[in-house]
Amino acid sequence: MVYIKWAFWITFWGLVAAFFHYTLPQHDIARITDTYEKRIDFGENSIFWASADVGNDTGTVNRDVFFIQTVRTNDRVMVYRNEDTGWGWPPYFKFDTSNLQAEAADLKSTSDAPKWVMIKHYGWRNEFMSIFPNAVSVKPVAGPDAGTGIPWLNIIILTVFFAFVWAIWVRWRRFRAARIDPMVEDMTESWDAAGDAVADRRSRAKRWLDSWRAK
Amino acid sequence: MFALTRLIVIGFVALTVIYVIVSFWSRALRRRKLRREWEEEGRPGDRETFVETGLKAYDGSLRRKLILGVYIIPVCIVGLIIYLTNFH
Repeated sequence: MVYIKWAFWITFWGLVAAFFHYTLPQHDIARITDTYEKRIDFGENSIFWASADVGNDTGTVNRDVFFIQTVRTNDRVMVYRNEDTGWGWPPYFKFDTSNLQAEAADLKSTSDAPKWVMIKHYGWRNEFMSIFPNAVSVKPVAGPDAGTGIPWLNIIILTVFFAFVWAIWVRWRRFRAARIDPMVEDMTESWDAAGDAVADRRSRAKRWLDSWRAK
Repeated sequence: MFALTRLIVIGFVALTVIYVIVSFWSRALRRRKLRREWEEEGRPGDRETFVETGLKAYDGSLRRKLILGVYIIPVCIVGLIIYLTNFH
């Protein structure tokens, strides 16, 4: 029972952590090497893609998606998709996909003459599922050593979230102590009393039986 | 257009739930506070009348209207995010 409980809570908090890691904005310092668009036929990975540009038909099975190819400061490549989130989830309310693509194309550079940018994005890159983080904005920075700043927004959101969790937890504990524990105790007590009575009767029967045994 | 409608409908329902909960909670708090006040003021007259008068004053107060912020603040935040993401 203890293992099931642990497994449940580890899974639960793992999912919560994954959710926030996917949804909250992160910043990368990178250099844009190219921008392109590619038709995507959404399959099993469809929940990892956002929506068509706001105002366009949403019922289509496939569409062209903008991509931004980059090389990060650790010399590893990263490919971002560039999609509207529109009015949907996650609530970035991004409508300027095409403008962002134009900005990214303008900041293209080669390894000989690198131009570094800070890319704000959310999401994950996973090669096994062909999913890409969604770029939200690009901003030129001085160089590869530029800091990405303190993530105030993430700190605020996570603090508020854990404050809520704590508030609910405290109230639940109080409710349990006041209502459920006495009930369980009551039940255990009557159960124990019943058990004692049975044991008592059994020992009496045993004594009676013993009295008939040959000594 | 559908996505916007969906956001507005779901948002309105969710915020209404929060609004109703906060309203009831705030009124209950005020009621408790009035009862304590009645005790502290040396029990002037009937307790229920004292509390009802106090609650009537609360119903017309600015403090109660501030709960409408439940609707206003998220809309402002969404507006701010739209500005920062797309036009900043």
